[in-house]
Amino acid sequence: MDSFSPIPALAGGVLIGLASALLWLGNGRIAGISGLFGQLLPPARTVIWRLVFLVALVLGALAASYLLPGLGVGGPGGQPARLAAPPAGWSVPAPLWIAVSGLLIGFGTKIGNGCTSGHGVCGLARLSKRSFVAVGVFFAVAIVTVTLTGIV
Amino acid sequence: MTASTRLPYLATAALSGLLFGAGLYVSQMVDPLKVLRFLDFTAIPSGGWDPSLAFVIVPAIAVMFVAVRIGRRRNAPVFASEFNEPEFHHIDAPLVLGAALFGIGWGMSGICPGPAIALIAFWPPDLLVFLVAMFIGSYAGALVIPSGHDRRLALAR
Repeated sequence: MDSFSPIPALAGGVLIGLASALLWLGNGRIAGISGLFGQLLPPARTVIWRLVFLVALVLGALAASYLLPGLGVGGPGGQPARLAAPPAGWSVPAPLWIAVSGLLIGFGTKIGNGCTSGHGVCGLARLSKRSFVAVGVFFAVAIVTVTLTGIV
Repeated sequence: MTASTRLPYLATAALSGLLFGAGLYVSQMVDPLKVLRFLDFTAIPSGGWDPSLAFVIVPAIAVMFVAVRIGRRRNAPVFASEFNEPEFHHIDAPLVLGAALFGIGWGMSGICPGPAIALIAFWPPDLLVFLVAMFIGSYAGALVIPSGHDRRLALAR
């Protein structure tokens, strides 16, 4: 329980909710990051606002890490960010493990039309039946994957 | 050309992106190990489980829920002609299979697409490998669902 941080978690969640609300009420768009990212690829139609959003997302994380340093990982007062190492005993090179994870995430979110933000935040808020199914499946499978691989 | 290249529209996208990225840092969802400590339910009996992710996603959903209600009382968003409601409604195989594959990938690394992009700000080792792989995976997904939109719509409308 050492790492549990309810106040920053709630504050960050409200910020993510406000970001999604703003994009919806302002532009009528779902703030789904896998979709924003995936539709940068040809035959993309409206690329510019997606690029603007994604660049701003990086800058927002960076700026927040300077304004509120030392919350954990990242920025001038934080620990260096690092990706999870492959589970002990699997003897898989880290880049290969990370590449397989990235491929599955890119492919899965593309054919499943969404990720934690598009289905998880926006879809559940819209009471979308598809999103309830997707969120149930990806949380359950992720929890089973962590248990089976023993990565933590 | 279209509404999506006008300044207020792009400024809204920029402000939304800034808030989203700030939220991912403040909530520390940019830390893949913290996400994995949420997904590790085997740590619940020992008290080592980190429930933070639930404390992030629930208020995010609540705020967005209010926004959706407000939106339903309006004909159009402020800077565009219509709300882009997702057009798919049925539960179909690509949805379930895609969510399952995403779940495996997420459980392997603790990274979902939002934090993957936000992590560019902090550039951990091997992030580039992850981003390139995610890009290739997404592109492959678009090829597997050929001629995308119309066929997808026929499956899941």
